Amino acid sequence: MRRQLLAALAALTIVVTACGGSATSSPSQAAPSAAASAASASASAAAPASAAASASPAGFDANAISGPVVLSGWQSSPAEGNALTQALLSFQATYPNVKVDYQPVAGDYPTVMAPKFASHDVPDLFYVNADYAQEWIAGGFLAPLDDYIAKSAFDTSQFFPGYASIFKGADGKTYGFPKDGNTIAMAYNTALVTSAPKTLDALVTLAQSLKGKSGLKAPICLNPGLDRGLAFLYAQGGSLLTADGKASAIDTAPSKAAIQWYMDLFKSGLGMTASDMGAGWCGDALGKKSAAIIFEGGWLDPSMTSTYPDVKYAWAQLPTGSSGSPVTISFTVSYSIGADSKNKDQAWVLLQYLTGKDGMTKWTQGGVALPARKDVPTPAGKDVLAASSAFAKPGSGFMVGWPAVQKAFQDAFTAQIQGKTFNADPVITATKAAIDKALAGG
Amino acid sequence: MTAASLARRPRAPNKGRAEALAGYLFIAVPMALFLVLNVGSIVYALFISVWKWNLRSGPVEFTGLRNYGTALSDPIFQTAIRNTLYYAVVWVPLTMALGLFLAVIVNQKIHGQTFFRAAFYFPAIASSAAITTLWIFIMAPDGIFNQVRGMVGLNPLFSLLGFTANQNWIGDQGTAMNTIILLNAWTTSGTFMLFYLASLQSISHEVYEAAAIDGAGAWQTFRRITFPLLKPGHYFVATVAVIGALQLFDQALIGGGVDGAPNNALMTMVLYLYNAAFKQFNFSYAAAIGIILFVVIFTATLVQRRLFGQAPAW
Repeated sequence: MRRQLLAALAALTIVVTACGGSATSSPSQAAPSAAASAASASASAAAPASAAASASPAGFDANAISGPVVLSGWQSSPAEGNALTQALLSFQATYPNVKVDYQPVAGDYPTVMAPKFASHDVPDLFYVNADYAQEWIAGGFLAPLDDYIAKSAFDTSQFFPGYASIFKGADGKTYGFPKDGNTIAMAYNTALVTSAPKTLDALVTLAQSLKGKSGLKAPICLNPGLDRGLAFLYAQGGSLLTADGKASAIDTAPSKAAIQWYMDLFKSGLGMTASDMGAGWCGDALGKKSAAIIFEGGWLDPSMTSTYPDVKYAWAQLPTGSSGSPVTISFTVSYSIGADSKNKDQAWVLLQYLTGKDGMTKWTQGGVALPARKDVPTPAGKDVLAASSAFAKPGSGFMVGWPAVQKAFQDAFTAQIQGKTFNADPVITATKAAIDKALAGG
Repeated sequence: MTAASLARRPRAPNKGRAEALAGYLFIAVPMALFLVLNVGSIVYALFISVWKWNLRSGPVEFTGLRNYGTALSDPIFQTAIRNTLYYAVVWVPLTMALGLFLAVIVNQKIHGQTFFRAAFYFPAIASSAAITTLWIFIMAPDGIFNQVRGMVGLNPLFSLLGFTANQNWIGDQGTAMNTIILLNAWTTSGTFMLFYLASLQSISHEVYEAAAIDGAGAWQTFRRITFPLLKPGHYFVATVAVIGALQLFDQALIGGGVDGAPNNALMTMVLYLYNAAFKQFNFSYAAAIGIILFVVIFTATLVQRRLFGQAPAW
């Protein structure tokens, strides 16, 4: 009888624990998380206020801040790790009271970060790729920096506008500063191309003369999407959006002509996708000598040196098109502070250092990416790419819903070139529909 | 077995209750985990799916069935459903037939039986990411497959079917899905072979002896004895296969990226869900897709149960 009682008691305990467990994890999770977000909202409101109160006349004194800060981001190569280590070492020397705990994220970055946002347990300072910056800003995952900028008189005028503009929210606030940048330029095999074309017309003429040369599957390797196509759209005087960014401009005459021109490169066999060349990406196609001309960014250099050291190539600016002025697109990543960060002050100290002149100099000397600031010296061998920063327009993340727009364009464009119909109109219709939907709020 | 031997012993009636209690106690922990982690998640997903949901702050606005309506009217989701069903309809019978064929072969008393069993099962051990990457290389425009068919003179046959010598099998919208089907038929047939092998060995030898005495040939024996007596095996393999087919994800993701490139040819229901969650950060929409997927799989399993009659009692 006693054993029976004991067993019943144990069973009851387990049932109760189980119910308790299910109650916290399922239906009422909304309640604790809402409470937590309210708490953190008040905390974040209080933190700058108290900082302002304590250091109000002098503003924000970075040297007076002490404590830990957790830094996270992805790391795509050992070179990148080394460059960051150099930057962090010099940060520690400058601000010995702020202790950086660097926790790189392995695996698909947004997939790893999503549960952290949901559980309000985020790194204090982390990378945000421009691709999804607008989604993360709109989702309230990032902390606005305007108070810190004002209090510490952070000089934002040195950032190239093409990079910095990405991390402004629809509310006009700033949610991050570019840690670096990359522009798209033309890389060509110097054994096949002796002088780089300056205009898109000259590029076509050159490509025609290269067509059918030994080993070349096509003279130019091209992506069937806006990740490169956007640069050519701008170069030919077209645009995705109107100047104020509030409406679609993809169906204007210059835009239509530009997309048809880009598609005709595939039609005439002057251009081919990396996939059709049997290459993973266009850099691979240049290395395998399947293509003589490609359009890539600074990430090409380390990959060519390590995988195809015998292939000689050079960089040139994206040839100018009918728009007449030099233009290209750029990609960037920010340092942003988590809305749920518990060490926002420390995170700001690190952010303003890493995106400032000294920190960015240390980081970009590693040769991984270009400076996002005008006052940072150009790393060796990056002259062409760095010079393009001055006139580059954002290549991603400049509108909410960008992933869907990009997908709509690429799907329709692929259907045209694989179906061998080569008609730009369906691409324009599909892209316009996606843009209109995104602008209307998804 | 312990329960049976204990049952023979005479004992007081309340002893049985104590034993039952102990039994429930034993299953309580796994059951609690199952309820919280599986059933709880499904119920929670159902809850999320009727809201406009912010990942960080939770519910924003009650939207009712809007997410479901948006999904079902989205042409990309319709393509995803079509692709997934096409994959299931082609891949499941193909792989079952292949698995059964291999099982019957390695069930014979032949030399190197163990070697062949291991060899046919081998692709199933390799990680799907690794083997898909390998497959992408094999099926590339200048990959081994295109080179070999050129060397053995099969190109006239392929050009008759409309394929060039440098066909981009995974990168072309017309052939991408079939190429993935072939890959998975190859890698999964070994697993199905194993299932069928277990079923084959449960068929009594006496039945075969009787058939042999009646003068049945090899084909007749297979057609009239083996195949029908494998019914529990068919049910099990078909159920596992259909559930797996409707959850096609990794090969599609590696083959065509998160967008199901080229032109949604590799867009599947789970990939669409992943895209909604981790590319567009629309988690309530992704939850709605998950519920739709659940309904589809559940229905498919019920239909199969009907087709194969009552499920065997394991």
